Amino acid sequence: MGLLDKQFEDGNIVITSLDNLLNWARLSSLWQMQFGLACCAIEMMAASASNFDMMRFGVIPRATPRQCDVMIVSGTVTLKMASRIKRLYDQMSEPRYVISMGSCSNCGGPYWEHGYHVLKGVDRIIPVDVYVPGCPPRPEALLEGLIKLQEKVRNYSSVKSVA
Amino acid sequence: MAEWILSQFPDSILGYVIIGALPLLFILPYALVTIYLEMKMAAHMQDRVAYMRTGWHGTLQPFADILKLLQKEDIIPTAADKFLFILAPYLVFIGTYATFAVLPFSSQYAGSELYLGIYYVIAVSSITVVGILMSGWASNNKWSLFGALRAAAQIVSYEIPTALALISVVMVAGTMNLQVLSQQQSGGIFDWYIFGGPFPIVKKLLLIPIMFVLFLIQLTASMAEVNRTPFDIPEAESELVQGYNTEYSGMKFAIFYLAEYANLFVVSAITVVVFFGGWASPFGNYLNSGGWELFWFVLKGMFFVSINIWLRWTLPRLRVDQLMYVSWKVLTPFALVCMILVGLIVVSF
Amino acid sequence: MLTDFGRIFIFFIVGAIFTAGGLMTSWLFRPKRYYPQKLSTYECGEEPIGDSRVKINVRFYVVALIFVVFEVEVLFIFPWALIFQKVGMFAYLEMLFFLLILIVGYAYVWAKGDLDWDKPIPVIPQLSKLLNNKS
Repeated sequence: MGLLDKQFEDGNIVITSLDNLLNWARLSSLWQMQFGLACCAIEMMAASASNFDMMRFGVIPRATPRQCDVMIVSGTVTLKMASRIKRLYDQMSEPRYVISMGSCSNCGGPYWEHGYHVLKGVDRIIPVDVYVPGCPPRPEALLEGLIKLQEKVRNYSSVKSVA
Repeated sequence: MAEWILSQFPDSILGYVIIGALPLLFILPYALVTIYLEMKMAAHMQDRVAYMRTGWHGTLQPFADILKLLQKEDIIPTAADKFLFILAPYLVFIGTYATFAVLPFSSQYAGSELYLGIYYVIAVSSITVVGILMSGWASNNKWSLFGALRAAAQIVSYEIPTALALISVVMVAGTMNLQVLSQQQSGGIFDWYIFGGPFPIVKKLLLIPIMFVLFLIQLTASMAEVNRTPFDIPEAESELVQGYNTEYSGMKFAIFYLAEYANLFVVSAITVVVFFGGWASPFGNYLNSGGWELFWFVLKGMFFVSINIWLRWTLPRLRVDQLMYVSWKVLTPFALVCMILVGLIVVSF
Repeated sequence: MLTDFGRIFIFFIVGAIFTAGGLMTSWLFRPKRYYPQKLSTYECGEEPIGDSRVKINVRFYVVALIFVVFEVEVLFIFPWALIFQKVGMFAYLEMLFFLLILIVGYAYVWAKGDLDWDKPIPVIPQLSKLLNNKS
């Protein structure tokens, strides 16, 4: 059992400050999985490029799921792609987070009614931490989603009463 | 300093263990600084700013990265060969760390003043290749296997030009001991082997152009030996995912990462010792007491590390066939010719 | 009193201990929630097809062979490089002769094309050929 698997009954100063330190490390070095699905991916690339520069938050694109922390599902999740996304998510090493970017991956987007080939929201196959609305969302919106995710990570606690 | 540590612990092995652990005190801060430096330099070359959120201008980012990697789950795939999979990071790090044993950080400290110096470095750096091959094979992953094979082919190919360039300097110096090599060049900047070494003027002038070519060969080949762009085809992200460490996660990956950066310093340090005077001050007897020697050594080493980083973010990646072409058809013939010329000069003067 | 090689052996041990220490520290913190899908082999999201120890290009073998030849040469030259200043011209000529044999082999390998990497030859369709085939 590692520390991150444990849930303590009571907190004390050691546990909470260790929690704070580890949370800080996790939230400030969220390595992103390097893959894009559709038009939202273009905005994701723009968010990594010089004007918006996602690396300010410590986000580095990594090619393999084993070394990634956050998966940005950027774009339309077709049914064919859904099984792949599920497998990639499974292969990521924990702790892992998911940002669902754009209307298509949030709920199916423009395909919500007649899209016979589109998954109606990526949260049907993998747990999503942050939803970023927009079609496609601007890079600022993605950065906002990232900051929201960081807040979520910051509030994690291994004490039962708080968590 | 090494003698002083030993005198503190007579009749015990503890002194030697402390000497053996001292380079760790260098590697860890060095790796933190270099990771930060690399990302910042890359970002500023691409008109970005990189890390801004952790500490002043993101200076705490390497700590965050390491702490995060500590918390990451450690995955060993079912298909992998478990024993070799675990052994590989050990071999890679040990192979890198063992080369630190002969690096002369100052005239007072070298882990071991081995008379075989350069020979030992060439031999021991091959342990890293074994580790990389082992990780690729054990992962049982196609990307890893291809990456490992490419890495092995590349490293062994570029070992020939490196060895030939180093031999030429050994021929001039008449010693392979890295400490003695630095000692020979300690008479100011014009005694460095890149400027012909501490010899009479005619011999010096004849040696300078050859030494310069040898230095370029060594710089190129050493960059290839540590698998960095433009020679990073073993880790080419666009074709091979992450190469040999595709399946490694968490701390095992961190060990690979650390070994890669430590290796970068080792090859830079070898270049520095062989061509740029090691710990010798460029001003001869001025500024060359105890602490200054360490300062000069680290400064020169970091200079070449920065050159490596600079080239990484400037040049595009080579193809496999171009890589082999550069090694076997450009660097090796040039190194052979240089070696023969150096021999002729040394024999006739 | 340890010899120089004894000191180096200590470096090997310290390196191993450091790696083991790093992995142990991580063992204290990291979560361990394994399930079969997580432990499957990564192949870009696909189900892995076949065994991963596939057949590889024979060029790697050729490179290894050439490397062995050159490495042996380097092995012989290193001791010679240390002492040839004392022996003088005779030693230099001896080594030139040795190198000559090697360079002949090198030239042979070069001429035979074993130093070139296998690469596919692009087939560029030419309009005139296409027209000829049709008629």
